[in-house]
Amino acid sequence: MLRFPVRRNALVLSAVVLILAIFACAGWLNWKLRRQAAERTLAGLMQSEAAPEAAAPQFASALIGKPAPAFTLEDLHGNKISLANYRGRPLVINFWATWCGPCKIETPWLIELRQKYAPQGLEVLAVNAEGDEPAANEMAAHTRYKTAVAKFAERMRIPYPVLIDGDSISRSYGGLDDLPASFFVNRKGTIVAAQVGLLSEDAGAGKDEIESNIRKALSK
Amino acid sequence: MNRTATRLLIAIAVIGFVAPLLTAQNAAPGAKTLSALKNAPVTYLFPEQVNLPAGKPTAVALHFRVAQGLHINSHTPSDEFLIPTNFSIPEGAGVHLDSASYPAGTLTTLPADPATKVSVYVGEFVIQARITAARGNHLVEGKLRFQACNQNQCMPPKTIPVAIDVIGK
Repeated sequence: MLRFPVRRNALVLSAVVLILAIFACAGWLNWKLRRQAAERTLAGLMQSEAAPEAAAPQFASALIGKPAPAFTLEDLHGNKISLANYRGRPLVINFWATWCGPCKIETPWLIELRQKYAPQGLEVLAVNAEGDEPAANEMAAHTRYKTAVAKFAERMRIPYPVLIDGDSISRSYGGLDDLPASFFVNRKGTIVAAQVGLLSEDAGAGKDEIESNIRKALSK
Repeated sequence: MNRTATRLLIAIAVIGFVAPLLTAQNAAPGAKTLSALKNAPVTYLFPEQVNLPAGKPTAVALHFRVAQGLHINSHTPSDEFLIPTNFSIPEGAGVHLDSASYPAGTLTTLPADPATKVSVYVGEFVIQARITAARGNHLVEGKLRFQACNQNQCMPPKTIPVAIDVIGK
């Protein structure tokens, strides 16, 4: 009479212990993984897991090998500037924004490289594309926008043309979701290279990558 | 014995189903691609619903998460051209945002420019909003405006909805 309840109790007790052990293991594993994920998130700022995709050696733009899409934009002085004005010259069409940290980093490189390759006719066109939502008062917002771009260009001492309202042409350049984005155009007006973002996290290598693309535009 | 065995089998089956779920939920973020992260650089986590004393300013902690590999400017970025993270509630929703208190950003540098410090949010961050609600049930659509980057490139500024069911009692 007694053996059966004792065996049943032992079975139930074993099952309860097993259940608790499994829950304890699952909880511990969960806590450990969460902690690792939190550490990875914090470390992600310095060693981004997403970076390898972002730092692709070459931006696979569908525009490479095709004529640079024509555009006419205003510069900071209100002059109309067309791509056609630069026919026969190698160009860097650099899309940027005032809020873009990497754009600020690469601007001095572009200034230096433009000066270096000026004898070969290189020009840089800085096309501003803030990509912001429309403001309630568009006129006032546009004045503020233009002032901010001018202030940034002055602070960075940009010697080449700064064009505004670049968002209006971003679609023809493949829809620029990320900045900075540069298109390297040869003397025939063909896009020979393109890059999005800083290709290297090392400052020296980043400049070298741009220079390598400029050389493609000069040689082809 | 049959009943005991049945209960035991059910218990083991439940554990077998629940335990993997508890441990597997962390595998997803690491598997996301950059493109997927770009679609949702910042996610509003909680609360979905808050109960407040009507007409009395009350603190509500709003929890957000920045996608892994990205950062956004803090509320007080280190450069005037950088876009600060900002929370707002549209007027006329029966709920008024009296003030918002933001966490301090993490000061860090980008590898390509080690001389310049930037103040950013990474991972989870909490905004302490002080809100006043009229009596009744209000479906509030707050807005969080931010601008996200990774180490190499930046995305345009974005505004995401922050949906909260506010019940003023």
